[in-house]
Amino acid sequence: MSTTKNTVFINNEEHAFEQGEMILRLLRRVLGDDPVPTLCDAPNLEPFGSCRVCSVEVALKQDGPKKVQASCHTPVMANSYIYTHSEKINRIRKNIVELVLTDYPKEKFEEANPSQNELKKVAAQVGINMSDVRYQPGKKNLNRTPDENHAYMRASMDTCINCYRCIRACDEVQGEMVLTMEGRGFDNKVVMGMNEGFKESDCVSCGACSQACPTGAITDIYASKFNDATKTERTVCTYCGVGCNLDVATKDGDIISITAPYDSEVNQGHTCLKGRYAFQFYNHPDRLKTPMIRRDGTLQPATWDEAYDYMTEKFTQIREANGPDAIAGISSARCPNEENYLMQKFIRAVIGTNNIDCCARVCHSPTALGLQRAFGTGAATNSVKDIQYTDCMMVIGANPTDAHPVTGAKMKQAAMKGTKLIVIDPREIALARYADYHLQLRPGTNVALLNMMMYYIISEGLVDKDFVDNRTEGYEDFVSNITNLDLDKMEEVTGVDRNLVREAAICYATAPNAMSFHGLGVTEHSQGTFTVMQIADLAMLTGNIGRRGVGVNPLRGQNNVQGAADMGAQPHQGAGYMDVTNPTFHKQYETFYGVDLPEHIGYKIPEMFDAAIAGDLKALWIIGEDVVQTDPNTDKVKRALTSLDMLIVQELFMTETALLADVILPGASFLEKSGTFTNGERRVQRVNKVLEPIEGTKADGQIIVDMMNRMGYKQADYAPDTMLEEISQIVPFFKGITWEGLGKNGKQWPVPEDGSSTEIMHVDQFKRGKGKISYFDWKESKEIEDNGSEYPYIITTNRELEHYNCGAMTRRTNNVQILTEDVLLINPKDAKDIKVKDGEMVCVTSARGKVDIKAKVSNEVKPGVMSTTFHFPEIMVNLITSDVHDSEAKCPEYKVVAAKVRKSKGKYAEKSEEQLAKA
Amino acid sequence: MSENLSALSGRKGLEKNLFEQLVEKSKVEGTPDNEDLKSLAHEYLMGEAITYGTASFYDFLKKDHRHVKAHVCNGSACLVAGTQENVKTKLLEHYRDEEIGHMCCLGRCHENSAFNINGNNYSGNAIEQLDKITSSHIASLTDNYKVSSNVENPILTGERLTAAGFASLFQKVLTNGADWALEQIKDSNIRGRGGAGFPMGIKLESCKNVSGDQKFIVCNADEGDPGAYSDRYLLEAQPMLVLFGMMVSGYIVGADKGALYIRGEYPESVRAVTKAVEELSEHGMQGKKIGGSDFNFDFKVIEGAGAYICGEETALLSSLEGQRPEVRVRPPYPTQRGLFNRPTVVNNVETQAAIAWIVKNGGKKYARFGTSKSSGTKLVCLDSFFMNPGIYEIEMGTPFKEVVHDFGGGFKENVKAVHVGGPLGGIVPTHKIEILSLDFESFANEGFLLGHAGVVSIPEKFPMIRYLEHLFEFTGAESCGKCFPCSIGSVRGKEMFEKARNGETRIDRQLLDDLLEAMEDGSLCALGGGLPLGVKNALQYFDDELRTYFK
Ligand SMILES: Cc1cc2nc3c(=O)[nH]c(=O)nc-3n(C[C@H](O)[C@H](O)[C@H](O)COP(=O)(O)O)c2cc1C
Ligand code: SF4
Ligand code: SF4
Ligand code: SF4
Ligand code: FES
Repeated sequence: MSTTKNTVFINNEEHAFEQGEMILRLLRRVLGDDPVPTLCDAPNLEPFGSCRVCSVEVALKQDGPKKVQASCHTPVMANSYIYTHSEKINRIRKNIVELVLTDYPKEKFEEANPSQNELKKVAAQVGINMSDVRYQPGKKNLNRTPDENHAYMRASMDTCINCYRCIRACDEVQGEMVLTMEGRGFDNKVVMGMNEGFKESDCVSCGACSQACPTGAITDIYASKFNDATKTERTVCTYCGVGCNLDVATKDGDIISITAPYDSEVNQGHTCLKGRYAFQFYNHPDRLKTPMIRRDGTLQPATWDEAYDYMTEKFTQIREANGPDAIAGISSARCPNEENYLMQKFIRAVIGTNNIDCCARVCHSPTALGLQRAFGTGAATNSVKDIQYTDCMMVIGANPTDAHPVTGAKMKQAAMKGTKLIVIDPREIALARYADYHLQLRPGTNVALLNMMMYYIISEGLVDKDFVDNRTEGYEDFVSNITNLDLDKMEEVTGVDRNLVREAAICYATAPNAMSFHGLGVTEHSQGTFTVMQIADLAMLTGNIGRRGVGVNPLRGQNNVQGAADMGAQPHQGAGYMDVTNPTFHKQYETFYGVDLPEHIGYKIPEMFDAAIAGDLKALWIIGEDVVQTDPNTDKVKRALTSLDMLIVQELFMTETALLADVILPGASFLEKSGTFTNGERRVQRVNKVLEPIEGTKADGQIIVDMMNRMGYKQADYAPDTMLEEISQIVPFFKGITWEGLGKNGKQWPVPEDGSSTEIMHVDQFKRGKGKISYFDWKESKEIEDNGSEYPYIITTNRELEHYNCGAMTRRTNNVQILTEDVLLINPKDAKDIKVKDGEMVCVTSARGKVDIKAKVSNEVKPGVMSTTFHFPEIMVNLITSDVHDSEAKCPEYKVVAAKVRKSKGKYAEKSEEQLAKA
Repeated sequence: MSENLSALSGRKGLEKNLFEQLVEKSKVEGTPDNEDLKSLAHEYLMGEAITYGTASFYDFLKKDHRHVKAHVCNGSACLVAGTQENVKTKLLEHYRDEEIGHMCCLGRCHENSAFNINGNNYSGNAIEQLDKITSSHIASLTDNYKVSSNVENPILTGERLTAAGFASLFQKVLTNGADWALEQIKDSNIRGRGGAGFPMGIKLESCKNVSGDQKFIVCNADEGDPGAYSDRYLLEAQPMLVLFGMMVSGYIVGADKGALYIRGEYPESVRAVTKAVEELSEHGMQGKKIGGSDFNFDFKVIEGAGAYICGEETALLSSLEGQRPEVRVRPPYPTQRGLFNRPTVVNNVETQAAIAWIVKNGGKKYARFGTSKSSGTKLVCLDSFFMNPGIYEIEMGTPFKEVVHDFGGGFKENVKAVHVGGPLGGIVPTHKIEILSLDFESFANEGFLLGHAGVVSIPEKFPMIRYLEHLFEFTGAESCGKCFPCSIGSVRGKEMFEKARNGETRIDRQLLDDLLEAMEDGSLCALGGGLPLGVKNALQYFDDELRTYFK
């Protein structure tokens, strides 16, 4: 027999192993699933070695003395002999499981299903049953009271076998550290928080422990791993741009639980509470189940035909009377690529206008534009996976642990273990606690702060000259501008100590690999596009482009906001980002769609509202977006919508926007249709239909196709595979994408003809050739300039973990039990100044309007700055936000509102009293 | 074993140590209150569950320890000596029942009747002066034990090393360099004295070869074995020797920080070492630029809080980090990823203490003591059943009977066995004393264990069944609770023996054998893995006495 370096013998058969590989991993690789029983091991956790039933016998040479070793944490030794089922090993395993059974409730064991309960499975594997137990039954976990108070999480610890998986999952996967053992030795017991329940603890309901638990001692209201589902379908989460894969379990056409596949490259068995638990909206009684038409001032049920006829007639009429530019569409970043593609095709090829936009306008349009200008491609340069490889993370204007929870958890994991972290945010977001530098700037001063950073990178001589010389342009101009920076002024306006900025700049510039992440705190500003370009500047100046662990990585908000833009849901670029005014591309689109197309660009969303008020826009078709609740300056939005001749709203629920519609089309949720979503790292993933659309509703793509045909354009019925085929012929970076070829984990675009996936972009060259370094002066927001003296406080808006945007979906789940209302964060000093206590109502006035909202006194914000959310229609925070926009991409400035704040009067003051009394 | 917690704790490091603060916060009430636990958790960026879980692990931090003012030793030596009841009765005259707790071995095994009040240890006839102790607070009544050696120029029990002596000896190390020092230690062939007997030179070398800008030296001064008090002797009588070994280790591997983890049951040791560190500072032998060189080294003394498992090196590291001291899997070895995820060398007190002699006289010279595989000398602790209880520095390879008879002077009363090497050691029937020699191999070959070489005598009158029950009980109480065979098995074993002793149910031999095998081969560490040795010895050599308890 050969005895090369990497040879090992398993049950006397020769195999090769990888250096450093643990025995268990080798066995699984070579012998398949379950080569030996295990109880404490879990796919996404570090080896732990507590259950010992994975033990094997190992001899260092043939017939040499054998030693019993736990296979999960013992590295394979070269030329050793591993025995997986010797008589001794079988006996030891059985005797260990027998010990475990002494402390397990008999009835529950008998009832358990061995394909779900891992203890029962392992007991069967080692050949022991409850009745074989020779010891007297013990007591430890047997008499603990179940915990049933939480919105989702459940614990009944009598079946706990102390495998620590839940504790490790909470620590190693989520990083929340809510669970611990209490006591010592045999008396150890798992507790939440300081021996409270889930509800009172700091649990974030991610469900990692529930997914980890082998016996269901910790589980959830759906008993996710222990129910009697008959079918499981894999799909992609509909909430945020992380794009987690979900295994959706159904029974009799109902969804009964969601778990996360371990083999998902995006989320490796993890999710947040939105993806895992917040699915109850899908068959909520509030779902719209029939088309409606406004007749005599009220919305009345109609048939699909009636709705289609009504729309067709109106569209034709308006087009004839006012031209195609009097019609516009807002597509939905919540819908699959295929539907977005169809919607822009409908507006362009069927109506004949470029008046198409999507909600990316109000979030990441500056990212797309800014990165296109700097690099040539408006998307993340790297992958989330790179967090493992980077030495420094710079998070600017993003709160990933709330808004992109699975990515946020990964960042937190890296930061805890020592990856450098720079947080640039007005709020002390959760990650800021772990940061090496928190630059807590005044909202609206990103440009000033980033200029300071770049000033120091240049003055400290930290520029990557090679990279700048070979791969960029514009450096000389940039340097001549930045060296004249007025540091005193910048320090004053940002409110951040220059030395801290300098240190952070040095940290970023000297890290071998530094990567940045940004969110809406960058884009939702009047200088949003410029800020994105500055972030690109930072990366180029320091050579942080084109390899693992670097780059510029926008955290895309909505699940498919990347895809909606990729598919052409914007007025100036068609599917695949080709300029509609460029004659070559224009021709290409005309040939492809087989119709004449307009040559001028269309309205962006805010321009649509202006045009409607001005009477130029007559009809608007909105899919899946509640512009009334979520777009800024609510009054103006309402005015625009009510000025239209026809407002079509395609929705799941009767949102604030739907209430104003002339036609309502009941669409289908992500669970009821197939297609693809593209996540924030350009990963195109398959959304697989789990259920048929609930009665009365239709897949949104089919609705558009129906209308295309009605309006005289032939389009085949909606199906994801044929749609993708069409898309791949026009979108260059989709060339190699096919429905089948996407497989389980999708592909990251650009996907060339050979079907390969791209994890890192701009490796040797930028899409646009040379990267463009640009300088921008900081400019005070118009909002502050105009209103700052009368309205002294700055209010900024943000999101909470439990809710998603307007909350139409999450408010129709148990998530409302966890977070029930919008609040305004106020620094204790400001609270004192305006004499409000925690929990009291305050009245907030801006130049647009006023709202009353509950105050939460908190150190998360600095004096002078307050922060709130707009998840709940009761408050309508956007009554006060401004319609100042990013100068370039027209993204609204949600993040800076000048406001006056005082204690509420009248009915709100009473509410205050009530609430204080309750507390 | 959480990499995250290690790193988070490491942010504040040894200087502002989380565990130290937990212990600090327990001093007033006997346990840190929940508000303290919360604020510490926040300060260290951990979940509240973490500090709560940690505190609940330790005898002197857990909630039940609130208001405990006096502790009675419940270690094996005091148990077999039968002194615990009297101590408890006397204490009850001064304290309410709930004010009296336990401590497992105060290192007073030579006098017994050990107890602790207000952070001071007492033994022997101190209990008869309880009035004085509680009223006038006489600090400590010192204990007495013999110290001697069978080598001429003793390595550990010789003249006390002074701060000045420390400084000049370390100058020699600085002059000859780190490689030379490592060479001496490798030449000496010295093996770890904490129980496992791992060669110190190899450990130092492997840590030296791991790259890292921060490394640590940890001295394992958690001497938990009931019956052992030799580390205590060194810490109190020869603290400079211990500190010297640590500093040389640091110099060799490139560590600039050393932590001494001294068990909370040894308050005098904590004081003695703290004082020695202060003396070193005064001599410029602590902190920056040691002896005028570029070498920096800081000592940190950390006091334990009552948990035997903290002697196991990975549990000790977790304890130092403020985590629950649950045994970690290896790899990673501490030399690769130890304290705060940094390369770390952990050595026992006695191992460290030998270094001074080695660098002074040369490693080769050290290796001349003892046998080829067990070089040097070993401290042996004899308990109060010997005519001459005390600490004896014995050359390895010396016939065991010489220790027992010549040094110990034989037994005061009839003894049927000696339990050598702590609770996880072997139970040596008296007739075997004749054939053993004091070295790792001789004990192992005969089916025993030298271990740390504490000796607890089991008198003829003490029922073996009771002793075995005690061993299971000890393991059950001290198990970290992580691995199934140990945490569940020890308790089931204890129940088995308890029921047999009080006549309820006889023991099923097959079941016991299965249990012992599962624990011995299945346990993660040598606590669960080591208990079966002594039990099996007893079953073999005391079959006559035990037979009636079996089916
Ligand atoms: C349950 C258990 C308890 C231990 N207790 C101690 C102890 O109290 N002191 C000690 O030095 N080593 C103890 N050890 C051994 C340590 O794990 C480790 O081997 C030792 O500190 C290494 O130092 P050395 O090589 O100098 O002996 C214990 C091991 C186990 C498994
Ligand atoms: S609750 Fe479940 S996962 Fe947690 S220790 Fe118990 S059995 Fe293991
Ligand atoms: S992180 Fe985002 S994609 Fe993942 S489960 Fe949560 S909301 Fe869904
Ligand atoms: S043998 Fe006991 S002490 Fe050691 S790891 Fe297992 S449970 Fe913990
Ligand atoms: S799987 Fe290895 S000890 Fe549990």
